[in-house]
Amino acid sequence: MEAHDRPVARTGTGQPRISGTRRALLLGGAALAGNTALAARLWQLQVVESDAYLEQAAQNRARTRPIQPLRGLIYDRNREPLVANAPVFSVWLSPADLPPEREGPVLANLAVLTGERPDDLRFKLSQARLAPDTPARLARAVPRESALTIEERRRDLPGISVRTSTRREYAYGDVLGHIMGFTGPIPAEEVEAYRRQGVRFDEDIGLSGVERSLQAQLRGRDGEQRLETDAFGRDLHELAFTPPQVGQHAVLTVAVNEQQAIREILARHLALRDRGAGAVVVLRPDTGDVVAMVSLPDYDSNIFTRGASSENFALLVSDPRRPLINHTVSGLYPPGSTYKVIAASGALEAGVVLPQSKIHCDGRLILPSGWAFDDWLPEGHGLVDLQRAIAESCNIYFYNVSGGNPYTRLQGLGNRRLAEFERSFGFGERTGIDLPGEASGLVPTSEWKNKNLQQPWVTGDTYHAAIGQGLVQVTPLQIASMYAAIGNGGRVMRPRLIDRMLDQHGNVAERIPPRVRSVLPITESNLRLLQTGLYRAVNEPQGTGPRARSSHTVVAGKTGTAEYSGQRDSEGRLPSHAWFAGYAPAEQPDYAFAVLVRDGGEGAFAAAPIARDIIDYLMTGDMPPLPQDRPDFISPDRRL
Amino acid sequence: MIIRLARIEWPTVISTVALVAFGVLMLSTTADPNTTGLQNQAVQKAVLGVVGLTLAFAMAHIDYRALHGVAGPVYLLGVAALILVLLVGDFDLGARRWFEIGPIVVQPSEFMKLAAVIALAKYLADRSDAPRSLRTVVVSLGIMVVPAGLIFLGPDLGTALIFGAIWMAMVFVAGARWWHLLLPIVAALAAFPFAWFFAQDYMRQRFVTFLDPSSDPLGAGYNVLQARISIGSGGWLGHGLGQGSQSQLEFLRVRDTDFIFAMLGEQLGLAGTLGLLGFFTLLIVQALVIGLRARDMFGRLLAIGIAAMLFTQSFVNIGMNVGVMPVTGITLPLVSLGKNSLLVTLVAIGVLLSIHSHRAAAPFRQQSMHVVRGSLPSTPPRGLSDL
Repeated sequence: MEAHDRPVARTGTGQPRISGTRRALLLGGAALAGNTALAARLWQLQVVESDAYLEQAAQNRARTRPIQPLRGLIYDRNREPLVANAPVFSVWLSPADLPPEREGPVLANLAVLTGERPDDLRFKLSQARLAPDTPARLARAVPRESALTIEERRRDLPGISVRTSTRREYAYGDVLGHIMGFTGPIPAEEVEAYRRQGVRFDEDIGLSGVERSLQAQLRGRDGEQRLETDAFGRDLHELAFTPPQVGQHAVLTVAVNEQQAIREILARHLALRDRGAGAVVVLRPDTGDVVAMVSLPDYDSNIFTRGASSENFALLVSDPRRPLINHTVSGLYPPGSTYKVIAASGALEAGVVLPQSKIHCDGRLILPSGWAFDDWLPEGHGLVDLQRAIAESCNIYFYNVSGGNPYTRLQGLGNRRLAEFERSFGFGERTGIDLPGEASGLVPTSEWKNKNLQQPWVTGDTYHAAIGQGLVQVTPLQIASMYAAIGNGGRVMRPRLIDRMLDQHGNVAERIPPRVRSVLPITESNLRLLQTGLYRAVNEPQGTGPRARSSHTVVAGKTGTAEYSGQRDSEGRLPSHAWFAGYAPAEQPDYAFAVLVRDGGEGAFAAAPIARDIIDYLMTGDMPPLPQDRPDFISPDRRL
Repeated sequence: MIIRLARIEWPTVISTVALVAFGVLMLSTTADPNTTGLQNQAVQKAVLGVVGLTLAFAMAHIDYRALHGVAGPVYLLGVAALILVLLVGDFDLGARRWFEIGPIVVQPSEFMKLAAVIALAKYLADRSDAPRSLRTVVVSLGIMVVPAGLIFLGPDLGTALIFGAIWMAMVFVAGARWWHLLLPIVAALAAFPFAWFFAQDYMRQRFVTFLDPSSDPLGAGYNVLQARISIGSGGWLGHGLGQGSQSQLEFLRVRDTDFIFAMLGEQLGLAGTLGLLGFFTLLIVQALVIGLRARDMFGRLLAIGIAAMLFTQSFVNIGMNVGVMPVTGITLPLVSLGKNSLLVTLVAIGVLLSIHSHRAAAPFRQQSMHVVRGSLPSTPPRGLSDL
């Protein structure tokens, strides 16, 4: 018997001594201590921290589901719908219902069923986990069979569901690809930026074209549904509902039929070449409205939203002509002789020459430094005045008026003033068209050359700039805009692609008025001289652009043959882009245009006929005959 | 009859009834409203509670010392049932724990708890002359390890560990050396490699889950978090009976059994949880007091064992609900849904009542016993064959 054992419970008589009393009391103390600890913990949970848990319980129970508005539609000038929201199956995830341990197999299954890349799915899942209560879209536009399989296997795919959503279906995706662009998932690196604008990571956004530039208006604003849900994600009832604000519809300035025809005309001419590439911009000179905008080769917008078959896409990406780029706004080229009117107008305005002043052209100008600058006509044009210089595209004349002539002591316009005039025509900066990815081009100056090439500016640089060669870089849209300004009396218009925005009932929500970017610093009489020069270039026997002559109207314009550094041909000539830019009718023009055939050779032969066919079409509404059916057809194989 | 009722330990009965009532109340808020009568789980529980209490009162009138005689057979029967359930029991979620005999589900492990307490009390009381010997400790441990091991193979590690806790309390009060109490831990560590070798994969998995709940693919971590949210959101007075989104919308899973306490916390708040904890504390303290007042070592150890059984189960379950104990699948005695557990617990409380009503100040009928035992204080009673 242990010493501490004492008799207890002596309520009766002669109670025996039972051991373990002290130890039993100890156990009782331990039990009391344990339950006191539990009571303390309950106090902590239910009194001290209660508010936080109430909050969590509320979050458990209510889910906020954003309701995405339908994306706005896009119409052409004649209210022809260019895009529709077609129903598709998409795969959604309720992040809270997918236990982290099951992520691996579920994602692996989904990758097989949807054809999405496992890495993409993993990224989306990690994004979705940031807001566990909000369903997120993992895959869009899955085939019907996959959707059915996913539905059947719901038990193996916790948190995964199939819903119908929409994808963009472009009615004229093939002819309007560059203008419309397409929608698609947000690139990973832009997810954060879009999130700040209230756009969820799993949405489709406009990735190029108008779809991108009008993203905010077309998208509209999310609505919100607050639902009470049980632990299995079943919606019990709605707590609150805010309707979404449907996206606005856009009406473009282009008409599908014109765009289609003009694209076809360019395509026919390019088809005569091996791997032909080119661009056309047609504007309304008075308003800057875009009538047509074609960059070939191009793509069909639908291949992106249908889930591009990868071979097609690979072909587009690997093509050295870069068909995914809209070369009318993003392509940079030397403008060649189409640029000469700038030096001409500058020289007139600055009083470097009088309109009737004649300069002798013997086909070559050799500077004292030894550098020789050639005309395109080896025997020279003789004595030329300004109008003839434009009409016949005499290089020597423009060398003289821009960079001066050390032998005749003619003081040229000089680099600085020439650059000012280039800018006044809208070069060196974006036109401001409603399209993404517009390039600003380059107006070269001595500062720019010093800074970027660490070389001093020489007279030759001014010569080259005057004839649109050397460092000058422009987009076809800028050239079209310049000729529109010359044609409309001197107003440089912002090219207008969007005419108006409509609300969901079809009422005008916003009109986008034509906007004058700047007014040419050229007197009316001087402008008249330029216009006449451009008229003569097309319509006089010695002009460079007779092939642009239309039998339906009078065309004014300028050829350009812009050499660029590349592989020289058998006769040692550099490759060149062919240009033709101008407007028609010459008096009161309805259209201004720029035509570029990349690596097309001579503007007079490669580009001018395209301009003629386009003007013929626009004037009559009829497709012109095939280029090879014309009596004056010259095959592009025969380079001159 | 009146005299006998006077000898009933009323605080024990009241706290028992209160705890069963808590359970019925909670089950009534989750029962399928389409069920009627005996289909309804709350009604079933209430009916079974009445049956169980009747059994307990009946037990109170039987002299607990009768259990001394049947301890052996009852124990062997329980072990046999455990072996049988392992061989032919119904299989669910990787566990063989019960038989289904028609509509009745029999869970031998629940009955084994009481059977083992009785057997251990008998053995320790019989050997109360040598409580400090190693032999007493080892044999008593053996008595517990056999059923605990079979239950562990079930697999149900939680219940198996409850046996360990009961053993420790009883052997401690019986007077074992302090360091002998560590024996089962040493034994478990020694046996572990063999058990691991023979264990099935799912058993190993469950063991790993026990050690690390976050590894549970069914989301034990989820349940623990939801339980904490439920309890915490209850606040002072709770959301009211049948209210509370956590339990009503089933964010709280296994709310009828393992996590019934969390449901109570959400619906009745701190008032409810402290009330329930208070009744448990009262019940356990009463059990200990009954043990202290018991007329002999057998009665005392029996009461201690039952007190340990009630305390360990309630403490582990509530601790799991409030997030201070691991998830083990131990239910809350008397409160949780679970008919076997309810019946066995009520019978155990009946045993307590019997120990109380047959304590020292018993009517003359039992005084002859005192004389016998008082006259031979150093002689260990050899069973109750002299009764």
